[in-house]
Amino acid sequence: MKYNITQKKDIGGTDYLLEVEAPQVAERIRPGNFVVLITVPNGERIPMSVQKAEDGKIAMFVKKLGKTSRALDACGECTTLEAVVGPMGKPVELKKFGNVVFVSDLVCGHAENYLFSQVFSKIEGNHMISMQTFPTKDEIYPEEYLAKGLCDEYYLTTKDGSVGLKGHYLEKLKELLDEGRCDIIFGGGDIPSLHELAKLTRPYEVPTIVTVRQIMVDATGMCGSCRVFVSGEMKLSCIDGPMFDATKLDFEDIISRLGMFKEAEAKAMEWCKQQQECK
Amino acid sequence: MPNIHIPRQEMPKQAPEDRRDNFNEVALGFTAELAQKEAQRCIQCKKPFCIDGCPVEIDIPAFIKFISEGDFEGALKKVREENLLPGICGRVCPQEQQCEIQCVLGKKQEPVAIGRLERFVADWGKQTGFDDEFHIEEKKKSVAVVGSGPASISCAIDLRRFGYQVTLFEALHKAGGVLQYGIPEFRLPKKIVDFEINNLDELGVDVKINTVIGQHVEFDELRGFFDAVFLGTGAGAPLFLNIEGEKLKGLYSANEFLIRTNLMKAYKFPEYDTPIICGNKVGVIGAGNVAMDAARCAVRLGADEVYILYRRTKKQAPARLEELENALEEGVILKELVNPVRVLGTDDGWVRAIELIMMELGEPDSSGRARPIPIENSEFEMELDTVVVALGTKPNRLFLNKVPELETTPWGTIQVDERLKTNMEGVYAGGDAVRGNATVILALGDGRTAARSIHAYLQNGKH
Ligand SMILES: Cc1cc2nc3c(=O)[nH]c(=O)nc-3n(C[C@H](O)[C@H](O)[C@H](O)COP(=O)(O)OP(=O)(O)OC[C@H]3O[C@@H](n4cnc5c(N)ncnc54)[C@H](O)[C@@H]3O)c2cc1C
Ligand SMILES: Cc1cc2nc3c(=O)[nH]c(=O)nc-3n(C[C@H](O)[C@H](O)[C@H](O)COP(=O)(O)OP(=O)(O)OC[C@H]3O[C@@H](n4cnc5c(N)ncnc54)[C@H](O)[C@@H]3O)c2cc1C
Ligand code: SF4
Ligand code: SF4
Ligand code: FES
Repeated sequence: MKYNITQKKDIGGTDYLLEVEAPQVAERIRPGNFVVLITVPNGERIPMSVQKAEDGKIAMFVKKLGKTSRALDACGECTTLEAVVGPMGKPVELKKFGNVVFVSDLVCGHAENYLFSQVFSKIEGNHMISMQTFPTKDEIYPEEYLAKGLCDEYYLTTKDGSVGLKGHYLEKLKELLDEGRCDIIFGGGDIPSLHELAKLTRPYEVPTIVTVRQIMVDATGMCGSCRVFVSGEMKLSCIDGPMFDATKLDFEDIISRLGMFKEAEAKAMEWCKQQQECK
Repeated sequence: MPNIHIPRQEMPKQAPEDRRDNFNEVALGFTAELAQKEAQRCIQCKKPFCIDGCPVEIDIPAFIKFISEGDFEGALKKVREENLLPGICGRVCPQEQQCEIQCVLGKKQEPVAIGRLERFVADWGKQTGFDDEFHIEEKKKSVAVVGSGPASISCAIDLRRFGYQVTLFEALHKAGGVLQYGIPEFRLPKKIVDFEINNLDELGVDVKINTVIGQHVEFDELRGFFDAVFLGTGAGAPLFLNIEGEKLKGLYSANEFLIRTNLMKAYKFPEYDTPIICGNKVGVIGAGNVAMDAARCAVRLGADEVYILYRRTKKQAPARLEELENALEEGVILKELVNPVRVLGTDDGWVRAIELIMMELGEPDSSGRARPIPIENSEFEMELDTVVVALGTKPNRLFLNKVPELETTPWGTIQVDERLKTNMEGVYAGGDAVRGNATVILALGDGRTAARSIHAYLQNGKH
C-alpha cells in the first residue's frame, strides 16, 4: 500500500508543507504524537511532527535539510510515499491547565505549535498563548500556517525585528513568567533553544515539556538510538517521549549525539546530487 | 543402506578471506550428492533419540530415509508435517544442542548433520516450486496475529489451514521479525524470509505491515474486531550496561547496529539512505548469537580489528559453536575473562577506549555455568572507536504499556498457561514475548501450539 501525496509546497525559508492521505493515522493523531515516513523504497525511516490532521489527511512542515527531505522536495513525479506509520510516541494529557503556552522557533516546533494551539484552546478553562520565532520577515510562513488564528494570545518574533517583536521567544516568555502568567509551557524546535528554555523556566518552577528530536531508526523501541537521559534515567524518545520535562533532560548528551552522522549525511547529499535527485 | 563408515559431510562454505568483504551467505548448502551421502549415515534407530531433541519433534529418521533414497519430495513433506519453516530452521537452529546432540552416532563419532539435511530439502523445494497440497475449509471466524516473527508466521499458517480468516500485523515496514531485522543476510538471506512471507500472502493471510498495535490500532478495538488474538511481539527492547560512557557517539546497542545493517541495509549506504558508522577497532560485549552477528557485520563493514569481549571463556559462550567458529575464521578476536567497567570518550564525545577488568571463573551459578568473579585491581584500558553492547534484549514495552490488564511475569514477559492462553479472554501469546530471548524453533513451536488452542477455543467457545 502506498500513501498519496495531496500537497507539497514551499511555505517559507527552506521549509515546505507536505500533506498526505493516511486516514487511519489522521484519525488518531493527538498533540505529542509523531509519525514515521518512508519516502522511497530504499529510504530511511524519518520521524515527523504533524501540523494538522483533517479529512483523512495529515500535514507536516518539512525542512530541506539532507538527502531524504531534499530528494522528496525535488522529485516532481513523486506522488506517493512508501509508508506513513503512526501515531507514534505518547500523546500529552488533554486537560485544563489554565494558561497554556507553546513556544517554537523551528519547522517541527511550528507544526506542533499549530496542533497544540488548535486542540488546547478548545478545552474549557484554558487560555492558549502561542509564541513563534522566525529569523527574519522573509522566512515567516503564510498566516494560515501560523498558530495565530487558533490561540487566545499570540506573539510573533523575528530575530532581527523585521516583523513582530525583536528577538527570540525566550525574551518575551521571561516577561510572562515574571507576570506569573504561565501554568504550563510546551516547546518545540531548535534543541539548544529548548536547553535555554529549561534554564529560563527552572527557577519559576513552571512545568516545561518539550519535544526531543533524537535520531531514530525503528521508532518502535527496539534500537536505543533515540535514548535520552531524564534525571539520569535512560528513556527512549520514540516510546516514552518524544515530549519530556525539559528541566530534567541531559541536553549536552542530546546535542552531542544528534551530530553523530554529520559526515555520513554529507556523503549522502553528495551522492544524491550526483544522481541528480537533490537540488 | 546405512553406512556408518562414511564421515560426516562438510557443507561447502565461502572461504573466510572472501566472505570478509561481502554479505552473501556463508554456508552454501549440500549438493544432492552430498545430502544423499550424509543421509546414508543415519542408522534409522528403532528408538530415535534425535526426535526428543527437536522441540517440534520432526520425524527425523523418516525424512532422512527419504533423502537417502533420493525422494526429496517425500523428505520435504515429512519435515513440513511438523516444521513449516525448514529453510530457516535448517540454517539457524542450534542443532548441536538440540537434535544432533541426541544422535546416537555422536557417542563414538560425529552426529548426523540433521540441520544441514533439513536445509537441503527446504532449498530443493524452493528451487523446484514444491507446494504443500491441502484444502482449506473456510470458516467465518477471524483471528488477529500481532508481530511477524517465527511464532506469528507459524501460528498464522496453521490458523489459516484450520480455515480461519487471519490478519497479521507488523509494526515495521518489512515482515519477519528478528529473521528480517536481526539475523544478517550472510547467515539467513532475506530472500528466504521474503519467500515465506509471500507464501503467507498466497495462503490468504492478510499481511498488514506498518501497523503498530496499541498505537495505530488500540488493543481493545482489535479484540472487538477479531474473535481471537495471538501475540507474537517478541523481546526486541535493547539492554544497556548502565555504566559510564553509554552516552558516547560510537556506542550502539546490538539491536541498533543490526537493524541499521540488516533491516535498513546500511551496508549499501548511500544507495540505501540509512548510514552506520563502524570504526576500525570494534569491541562487541557479550558472546551470544547476537554478539557474533554484530561482530561479523563489523568485519564486513570494514573494521580492521573486531573483538568479542566476554566475561567467561569460549567453552561457556552461549552462541552456536558453528557461528563462533565462523567468526573466528573471519578474523574476529575472542577476548575471554574480561568485563567492561566504563567506556572512555574523546573531548568531542566519541568512544576512545574501554576500561576492562580481568575475571576468573568460580563455582557454577544458577545457570550451571561457572560464575565469573572480578580480579581486584586488574583494570586496564583497551583502545576502541566503536562499542556494541550485545547483552540480549527484553520484551518491548511499546505494546505492554498499552495493555496494563495483560498479566506479565516479574521479567516483563507475558504470563501464559500451558495452552499459551493469557489472562485475557481469547488472547494467546508465544515466542520471545513469553520466553524472553529464546530460539526460532521454540517460537515456531509456540505458534503452532497457540493455533491449536485458538482452534479449540473458537470451536467450542470454552477456555
Ligand atoms: C519526534 C521528531 C519529530 C520531528 N519533526 C520534524 C518536522 O516536523 N519537520 C522536519 O523537517 N523534521 C522533523 N524531524 C527531524 C527529521 O526527522 C529529520 O530532519 C530528517 O530525518 C532529516 O533527514 P534528511 O535525510 O533530510 O537529513 P539528514 O542529512 O539525514 O539529517 C540532517 C539532520 O537531521 C537529523 N536526523 C537525521 N536523521 C534523523 C532521524 N532518523 N531521526 C531524527 N533526526 C534525524 C540529524 O540531526 C541530522 O544531523 C523530527 C524528528 C523527530 C525525532
Ligand atoms: C541478532 C539475533 C540473532 C539470533 N540468532 C538466532 C539463531 O541463530 N538461532 C535461533 O534459533 N535463534 C536466534 N535468535 C533468536 C530468535 O531470532 C528469536 O528467538 C525469535 O525470532 C523469536 O521469534 P518471535 O516470533 O517470538 O518474535 P520476533 O522474531 O522478535 O518478532 C516480533 C515481531 O513483532 C513485531 N511487533 C512488536 N510489537 C508490535 C506491535 N505492537 N504491533 C505490531 N508488531 C509488533 C516486531 O516488530 C517484530 O517484527 C537470534 C536473535 C537475534 C536478535
Ligand atoms: S527443527 Fe531444529 S531441532 Fe528440529 S530437526 Fe530441524 S534443526 Fe533439528
Ligand atoms: S539418532 Fe541419529 S542415527 Fe539415530 S535415527 Fe536419529 S539421526 Fe539417525
Ligand atoms: S528509535 Fe529505536 S528505540 Fe527509539
